[in-house]
Amino acid sequence: MRDYYVAASRIGFQRDIQYRGATFTNILGFMIEPAIYLVVWRTVAIEQGGAVGGYSVDDFTAYYIVWTLVRVMNLAHAPYAWEWRIRGGRLNEMLSIPVQPFHRDFAYFIGGKFVWILMWIPVAIVLTLTFQPRLDPQPVHIAGFLVAIWTGFAVRFLLLYLMGMITFWTTRGQAIFDLIVAGELLLSGRLVPLSLMPSWVQSVSNWLPFQWSFQFPIEVAIGRLSDVEILQGLGIQALWIAGMGLAFWRVWPRALRNYTAVGG
Amino acid sequence: MRPVGPLRLAAIHLKVAALNELQYRLNFFVQLLQSTVALAVGLIVIAVVYSHTERLGGWSQAQLLAVMGVHLLIGGIIRTFIAPNMRRLMEDVNEGTLDYALTRPADSQLMVSVRQFSIWSAIDIVMGVLVVVWAGVAVDGAVGVLGTLSFLVVILCGSVIVYSVWLAATTITFRIIRGDYVMQLLDGIYEAGRWPVTLYPTWLRLTLTFLVPLAFAVTVPAEVVAGRFDGSSPAWAIVVTAVFATGSRVIWQRGIRQYAGASA
Amino acid sequence: MAATLSRGSSNGHQTQREIERTGRAGGRPNRTENCTGCSTVACQTSPPVTDPVVVSDLRKVFKVPVRDAGVRASMRSLVKREHRDVVAVDDISFRLRPGEIVGFLGPNGAGKTTTIKMLSGLLHADGGDAHVLGHRPWLRSKDLLSRIALVMGQRNNLQWDLPAADSFELNRAVYQIPDGDFRRRKDTYAELLDVAALVNKPVRNLSLGERMKMEIVGALLHGPEVLFLDEPTIGLDVTMQKRLRQFILDYNRTDGATVLLTSHYMADVVALARRVIVIHHGSILYDGALAGLADRFAATKTIRVTAPDLPTDVTGLGILVERTPDKLVLEVERSRVAEVTSRLLSMSTVSDLSIDDPPIDDVIDRVFTAEDAP
Repeated sequence: MRDYYVAASRIGFQRDIQYRGATFTNILGFMIEPAIYLVVWRTVAIEQGGAVGGYSVDDFTAYYIVWTLVRVMNLAHAPYAWEWRIRGGRLNEMLSIPVQPFHRDFAYFIGGKFVWILMWIPVAIVLTLTFQPRLDPQPVHIAGFLVAIWTGFAVRFLLLYLMGMITFWTTRGQAIFDLIVAGELLLSGRLVPLSLMPSWVQSVSNWLPFQWSFQFPIEVAIGRLSDVEILQGLGIQALWIAGMGLAFWRVWPRALRNYTAVGG
Repeated sequence: MRPVGPLRLAAIHLKVAALNELQYRLNFFVQLLQSTVALAVGLIVIAVVYSHTERLGGWSQAQLLAVMGVHLLIGGIIRTFIAPNMRRLMEDVNEGTLDYALTRPADSQLMVSVRQFSIWSAIDIVMGVLVVVWAGVAVDGAVGVLGTLSFLVVILCGSVIVYSVWLAATTITFRIIRGDYVMQLLDGIYEAGRWPVTLYPTWLRLTLTFLVPLAFAVTVPAEVVAGRFDGSSPAWAIVVTAVFATGSRVIWQRGIRQYAGASA
Repeated sequence: MAATLSRGSSNGHQTQREIERTGRAGGRPNRTENCTGCSTVACQTSPPVTDPVVVSDLRKVFKVPVRDAGVRASMRSLVKREHRDVVAVDDISFRLRPGEIVGFLGPNGAGKTTTIKMLSGLLHADGGDAHVLGHRPWLRSKDLLSRIALVMGQRNNLQWDLPAADSFELNRAVYQIPDGDFRRRKDTYAELLDVAALVNKPVRNLSLGERMKMEIVGALLHGPEVLFLDEPTIGLDVTMQKRLRQFILDYNRTDGATVLLTSHYMADVVALARRVIVIHHGSILYDGALAGLADRFAATKTIRVTAPDLPTDVTGLGILVERTPDKLVLEVERSRVAEVTSRLLSMSTVSDLSIDDPPIDDVIDRVFTAEDAP
């Protein structure tokens, strides 16, 4: 299995390098959201005299620039893609080999990440020069961040993959995905840093996996969490990974049974 | 046989598309859900932003509502009329089936622009109008007849501008494999229009005024509704529209000639 | 040994691997011992592993939605969904012997692809049973998937945008192919199919024929024992087709693989398969030697006669297919062949006479059209 992950990641890496134009355009597209909200929240902070909800202008800047890297890191296999995969017969090809599609997808994404990180660098440089964030992370923050972005990726990958399984039971999965993605937009710290949301929203968000892929790694990097909180966060990420991993392990054979009853 | 007039051509295609999609009543509900969720998220974000500040870059909450409404409205126009055609155009170029559309006795640009429609996306247009009306009412100061007329003019200009940009971008990326990423990028850039262009740093504001004129497509109509009406805006809008419409036509003609040459 | 083999799992597979590693030349070890008179429970409850593919009363039924045209009907269908049962595979049975190449013939919609999908684990059967290398395919055991290969004419298993060599490396990791075997097979097959120089070109830059050959190389790297080939020569030119057929024959000979081949090209079947299974409307119409197909289904034989003084009037002898000054081609009912032949011999000074079955294509055609006729 390790061999497979190495080989498949390599393929994922090569593929995204091969289509660097498309990959870069794709990455750029994803950078627009943080850039927009960077501007919006900075403006709010400036209007309010320099700070809002515990975040200064510089804090917001740092938050959203780190956000761009986190965003690149937690891009995962979209649930919408399953419908296309089933319709187009791609799934049959994937089922003909003695490796589960999950491993294939996960490995490909891991390989791709390295390309995306490389492509993120120029974007980060432009943003840094434009907005001049102030960031001085401690070693523990950097170490924690390096772990948290990968575990955060695993959390989101599992989440989206589980969502994708819905496609095996209904063709109207899109509606459900939209609802969940909307929830993620609001409850992950993407559009609004969570501490700026009303407290009941924050409580709800604490029980959901969303913030562990977005807000948590960001806050580790910009030094807003104590060492204890960082460890706690990593632990919660691990719990989500274990929980969703288990759920997937139970759901996948059933999904497959549904599929092989009718075929592609 | 006399070539069919442009309006009639568009009407015929529209009717076919409508009849087609009307069969799928379920899609209506799916789209309704999607649009409602998107609207809700947008409103929530505005609410959260304005829970921390009275004004954003000089815009009040009601005025920002106007921006959101126009963004939704124009977005609906894009999704209903423009994007489907551009996507089809891209597909045809990739598969070499564009010749079929080009050998009809009508202007080629017209042909590729009125073939495909996404009827249910018109829900966004309806919602956009409702939000704009709501904003117009919420803003202190009546909009008035002149304002409404200017609004309609400016919205029309905005639609044409957006159409021109989308067409030009699609034409320019004819040859690129995986050109559909450009569509995604355009959609992403369009997201920036969700907030008034005046918020962005100068270089970005200039880009969004002259390169991808979201300023004229979204911000200006919003200003009309928001009572930030500057009498010269509609005039400028018309000028910019003319420039972009002509420019995109030139690009289209060039692109088509190249295409015809290439596939000879 | 028989008792362990009847589980049909990794034990046998390991034996296979060990032998390859010690470099024993030639084909597969003989894992095909007949389970004769074996009385252990294991042997009695699972099928003898003699035959790599065993199909018994296999059945597959699809639910197809039924809907009339028109707006009213579509509105009705929103409320009440009506379905019709379509029997795609109707209780078929057959077995493949080890090392056999069997042609699977049938028109579109006959049930060929559905059967192959069931045998390769992509579809669950609705009735009956099937075993491939001792496993029920739709349970998709890793062991089974590592020992079979499914090559469908128009599908891509290779990465489109990367050189084939990269996809091969990936396959190596997927199937855990030992280094030596991997290199040997890769080089040998690429050489045989004349694509060795192309392994480093991105697959999308290859011509259709080259791509197909590359796919085959990739599919055989793990030395599958059972090969499902679906339209392997589709879209290829004649030379390429011949090459590919020869290659499959060679692979079958050296590796002893069992091959189930579906094709629309009779030439494929004639060149490769000695046995054919004809399927139509989900049922097997014929399962036997290719040569016997004509006997079973052809109503006529073709008589070619060369003589300087052929009769001008051939009514009553048979259907005239072709006539030149000294040659005559007639299609004659099988039952009358002897009679017509002797009459021709008596009527003219025959210098050459041949009696043939009609072309296999025509025979097959007739089979299917006959079945469709009321």
